[in-house]
Amino acid sequence: MAILEVTGLNKSFSGTAVLSDVGFSLEKGESLAIIGSSGSGKTTLLRCLNFLELPDSGKISVAGETVFDSSDRSAVPERELRRRRLHFGLVFQSFNLFPQYTALENVTLAGRLLARENPGYPRRRAELFAEIDENARALLDSVGLISKLGAYPHELSGGQQQRVAIARALALSPDILCFDEPTSALDPELTGEVLRVIRSLASSHTTMVIVTHEMQFAREVSDKVIFIDGGAIVERGAPEDVFGNPRHERTKRFLERYSG
Amino acid sequence: MPLSTIAATLLRGFGTTCLIFIITLALAAPLGLVVSFGSMSRFAPLRILTRAFVWIIRGSPLMLQMIIIYYGPGLLWSGTALPRFSATITAFTINYAAYFSEIYRGGIEGVPRGQYEAGLVLGMTKTQIFFKITLLQVVKRILPPMSNEIITLVKDTSLARIIAVREIIMEAYSFMAKGLISPLFYAGVFYLIFNGVLQVIFGKAEKKLAYFR
Ligand SMILES: Nc1ncnc2c1ncn2[C@@H]1O[C@H](COP(=O)(O)OP(=O)(O)OP(=O)(O)O)[C@@H](O)[C@H]1O
Ligand SMILES: [Mg+2]
Repeated sequence: MAILEVTGLNKSFSGTAVLSDVGFSLEKGESLAIIGSSGSGKTTLLRCLNFLELPDSGKISVAGETVFDSSDRSAVPERELRRRRLHFGLVFQSFNLFPQYTALENVTLAGRLLARENPGYPRRRAELFAEIDENARALLDSVGLISKLGAYPHELSGGQQQRVAIARALALSPDILCFDEPTSALDPELTGEVLRVIRSLASSHTTMVIVTHEMQFAREVSDKVIFIDGGAIVERGAPEDVFGNPRHERTKRFLERYSG
Repeated sequence: MPLSTIAATLLRGFGTTCLIFIITLALAAPLGLVVSFGSMSRFAPLRILTRAFVWIIRGSPLMLQMIIIYYGPGLLWSGTALPRFSATITAFTINYAAYFSEIYRGGIEGVPRGQYEAGLVLGMTKTQIFFKITLLQVVKRILPPMSNEIITLVKDTSLARIIAVREIIMEAYSFMAKGLISPLFYAGVFYLIFNGVLQVIFGKAEKKLAYFR
């Protein structure tokens, strides 16, 4: 069964269609690269997956569980919405780390707040927090930042901030981790360290949806590629096919422009 | 004139000054928050009305507002005037709530939307996001403009003498008739000390929040 199944997703902003009938599926452990020119709707798609935007119609299911269905009009309680949201993680283009917290605290904050909902919370608090803390340290170590646990975001480079943001998203063990142009806000010399982290996630079979303008990287790291134009999926397939042998004229033109 | 008489009179005036300051601050700070929510409301009529109100209050002199609030009821519909002190507090509270509301609004709108969204995708509730993420960033942003405004408030209290509230300047001025100008200088010293203390407090608070950007 597919871990992620998106069907018939539509979204428009004040009458302008931004996503038209978008559908795809993703197997557990796969990574999907989404490419497309500016304004084609890539961010909007990720935002719909993370419930930051409400699709006008369509259906999203995770491991067989329907997490969004526009034909189901019953209101979803906030608590349930938050639970569904946790199937997904999102790494933003502009990191969005919390400036008043250290790298470690950025990674532990959400987990600690969620722990309060754990039935044994008040009693097992110390134990739960210790687990969260240990997990966060391990994650920060895995992204190469064990020496920066106590650093505040403004004391970190863009590449380091983005790696903290990745650790922060991983800390809640999402089923699907989404990246929205994770290196676009970085100086060119800093993109490498972030791409390396994502590559290693791919090789350890983290399920990912990656929006990127780094074509070479997309080709290497993904199991599937989607080319989206004007809010619709124009071409999809294995990276060798989409990049090596694109069938559609629009894909060809796009790739010519980006193969800089 | 014995110095102790002067001191007692000035201290009494200073007491009134402090009272105006503290009560205004205690009322206007929370009221300003309510006003700022109004001016950020998604309900357009409320937003427009609130912003018009803020524009009028900030665009006209506090002195004029005091005169209207104190003399207005009697002149316009021959109602009974508020007591002097209450009229002062009313005018000051409305005026400062308007100023504070703009500072709050700037502070709240200045926190990038991405902070809120990052909290959401991490499964936080809106309340958690407000208290754990947004609040401290807002406080840090509003601290410098708030300290300016609060120091202005200390000095503005002297406007109360327009409607004969016996704050420190009015008391000090009363000695002029007896040919004494020194009490006015002493009054000035009171203000300097008061604002000096405030500056130290705000400076400390800003330093405390300097650890992040
Ligand atoms: N909140 C919004 N309100 C109105 N229009 C929006 C909104 N968000 C996005 N759009 C519009 O939707 C279209 C798709 O935007 P989106 O950000 O999804 O594109 P993108 O593919 O991520 O582009 P880029 O590569 O520049 O990041 C754009 O035309 C954009 O102007
Ligand atoms: Mg985008």
